[in-house]
Amino acid sequence: MATLRTFARIQRSADDVWKVVGDPSRIIEWFPGLVSVAVEDGVRTLTTKSGLPIVENIVTLDHDMRRFQYSITGPIPVNYHLGTMDVIDDGQPGCLLMYSTEITPEPMAFVLDGVISEGIANLAHMLNEHNEEQR
Amino acid sequence: MGRKILFITTDQMRYDAIGANGGRVARTPVIDSLAAEGINYDRAQPQNVVCMPSRATMVTGQNIGTHGVWMNGVPLPIDAPSVAAVLGDSGYKTALIGKSHFEPLLDPFLRFEENRQGFAGQTEGHRGFDHMELATHGAVGFTHYSKWIRDNHPETIGGFFQVLNGNLEVSDVAGGDTGAPQVKVNPIERDWYHTDWVANRTIAWLDALDASDDWFCWMSFPDPHHPWDPPESEKHRVNWRDLDLPEGYPQDAATREAIIDSKPRHWRLWYDGELVGNYEAPAKWVPATLTPEQILEVNALVHVENELIDEAIGRVLQAIAARGWSDDLDVVFTTDHGEFQGDFGFLFKGPYHVDSLMRLPLIWRPAPSAGGGVDAVTRVSQPVGLINLAPTFCAIAGVDVPEWMEGTPLPIDDADAHARGFERVLTEWDSRQPDGTAMHLRSITRDGMVCTMYRPGTVHDGTEGELYDLANDPLMHVNLWEDPARRSLRDELLLDLADNFVEPIEMRHAQAPV
Repeated sequence: MATLRTFARIQRSADDVWKVVGDPSRIIEWFPGLVSVAVEDGVRTLTTKSGLPIVENIVTLDHDMRRFQYSITGPIPVNYHLGTMDVIDDGQPGCLLMYSTEITPEPMAFVLDGVISEGIANLAHMLNEHNEEQR
Repeated sequence: MGRKILFITTDQMRYDAIGANGGRVARTPVIDSLAAEGINYDRAQPQNVVCMPSRATMVTGQNIGTHGVWMNGVPLPIDAPSVAAVLGDSGYKTALIGKSHFEPLLDPFLRFEENRQGFAGQTEGHRGFDHMELATHGAVGFTHYSKWIRDNHPETIGGFFQVLNGNLEVSDVAGGDTGAPQVKVNPIERDWYHTDWVANRTIAWLDALDASDDWFCWMSFPDPHHPWDPPESEKHRVNWRDLDLPEGYPQDAATREAIIDSKPRHWRLWYDGELVGNYEAPAKWVPATLTPEQILEVNALVHVENELIDEAIGRVLQAIAARGWSDDLDVVFTTDHGEFQGDFGFLFKGPYHVDSLMRLPLIWRPAPSAGGGVDAVTRVSQPVGLINLAPTFCAIAGVDVPEWMEGTPLPIDDADAHARGFERVLTEWDSRQPDGTAMHLRSITRDGMVCTMYRPGTVHDGTEGELYDLANDPLMHVNLWEDPARRSLRDELLLDLADNFVEPIEMRHAQAPV
C-alpha cells in the first residue's frame, strides 16, 4: 500500500478553512480537473474533465475534530483507499492543513500525489488571497 | 528562404534496427539512403534511457539535471525553454506530430496541456510548436490519435494490446504464436495504425504551408516501442521462424546467467522476477521465463514495425519533394532510447546502461543546397548525445544557439568532433518506484569504454558498477569494474564523469507513473 502526505500552512483560522474543507461539495472550488460534484446520502460523486466519474463514500465528517475522511469506491481501479483531511489549530499563526492518502494499487499514488499537491496549493492560494481581500 | 528541418524520431529503436547500421532483416531503404547521403553517427546516446527525460533533453538541449525531468511521470515545466520556440521566433513554422511525452500520459484529471488538447481535438500546440497532433502506442488515452480512432474507427480499439491491467500495472498478457508478453494480433487496417496516421498528419500539415515558408517539423513515431501489435496484414513481411537469435542473447542458460551475475545485483533480481526497476516493464513478467521463440517473435514484429516506419518516412519525403523543398531539406533521424529485444535474456528497458538501450541510430542528412547530399557521406565515431540535437537545429536555421542550451551542434565528421571536444557522452538514470525502490546510475562513454557507477539507493550500496571495453567486448558481457588492471582507467573515467555531470537543481515529484 502506498501512503501520501501533503500539508500546507494557511493564513486563515482553522474555522475558516474548515468551512471549505468540511463541506464536501466545495471540493470543486479548489481541486483541479473537476467539472461537477454531487453529494447525496453520504456518497460524493465527482466527474473529471476527461469525463471519468469518481465515486466516494464519505467516511468521517467530524466538525469538532475538523476531520474529513473519504474512500474512493470506483469506478477507477482502486482496491483500497482512504483520504484524510485534517485542519489543525496548532497555536501558530493561521492553521495547518494536512492531507493524507492510503491507496492500493500503488501506481495510483503517483496520479493522486500530483493532483492532491496541486489541489492543496490551490486551496491555500484561494484562502490566502481571500484573506488579503479582507484586510 | 532558409533550410527546412524534418526531425524524425522513433521510440525505443536499437542502433542495429536499420540496414545502414548492419541490420539484416527489416528493409529500411529510405532511412538507409538518408545515411548514404549524410552523416551517420556510430556512437549516439540518450541522456536517459526512458522516454520523458530523453525527449525533454531533445526539445530543450539541456542535461537531465537542468530540465529536471529525471524519470517518467515528471512533467517538463510548462515554461521550460524549447528549441521550437527559438525557431518560431526566427520565422519558422513549427509542428510536432506523433509522440511528444513531455508530460505524463496517465492523466484522468486532464491537468496537462498536451492531454487537454488531444482530448478536445485542439491542435494549436504549445512549447513553441504552432501545431501539435499527438499519438502514443495505442488507441487509449487523450491523444489526438486516440480521439481520431474513437471518432472514426471505434471498433478497432480492442484490437490493440491493453497495456494497463485493472491494478494499473503494466500487463504481461501473452500472445502471438509463442506466448510472448505484450504481443497481440491487431486486425486494424494498416492505414489506421498510428505509424501511417503520423505520416498522414505530417503530410497534411506540410500541405497547408506556403511554398515560401521555412519550417521545422518533429515527426515522432510511437513504434517500435512495446506493445508489439502491428497491423496483422503486415505480419507476413517477417516470419519469426526464419530469424536468427540475436548475437546478444547467450543461448546457454548457465552462460547467460553467469554474465548477468557479473553485473550489479538488480540485473539478476529482475531476471528472476524479484525486482522490476522500471514501471514500463510488466510488473509480473519474469525474464528468466523468456524463450528463444518468444525473442524471435518479438523481433519479427519489431522488424515489421520498422519497415512500416521506413515506408511512412518515404511517403513524407515524396510529399516534400512534390512541394519542391527537397534541396533545402535537412533530415535528422533518431530515437529516444533503445530496447533489449532479447539481449542478455531480457525484453523492454530499465536501469541498464548497455548498448541495447544506449546506442542509438542517429543520421543527419544535410540539405543538398547547403553542401550536404551525396558528397557528405560520413560516419562519425566520436560520442555524441541527443543533447546535441536542439543546438544542431539552431545551427541549421542560422540562429545563435541560446545560452540555456547545454549541448553544441553535432559534428559533421570526426575531425570536427575532435576539434570541438566531442570526447564523452553521459547517460543517467534515477527512479523512485511506488514501492519505494530507488536506483541511481551515472554513466560515461569515452575512449571506447562505458563506465557506470551506482549511487546508493534501495538496491545498491554505492560500491557496485560496470566497466566495458567496447572494442574487445562489444556485447558487454565482461564486466571489468573489479579488474585490478583496469582500476586506474576506471578511476579516471569516474573523475571525468564527476567533472562533467550536471547535478539536478531539484527532484520534482512524479505526477503519474508514466
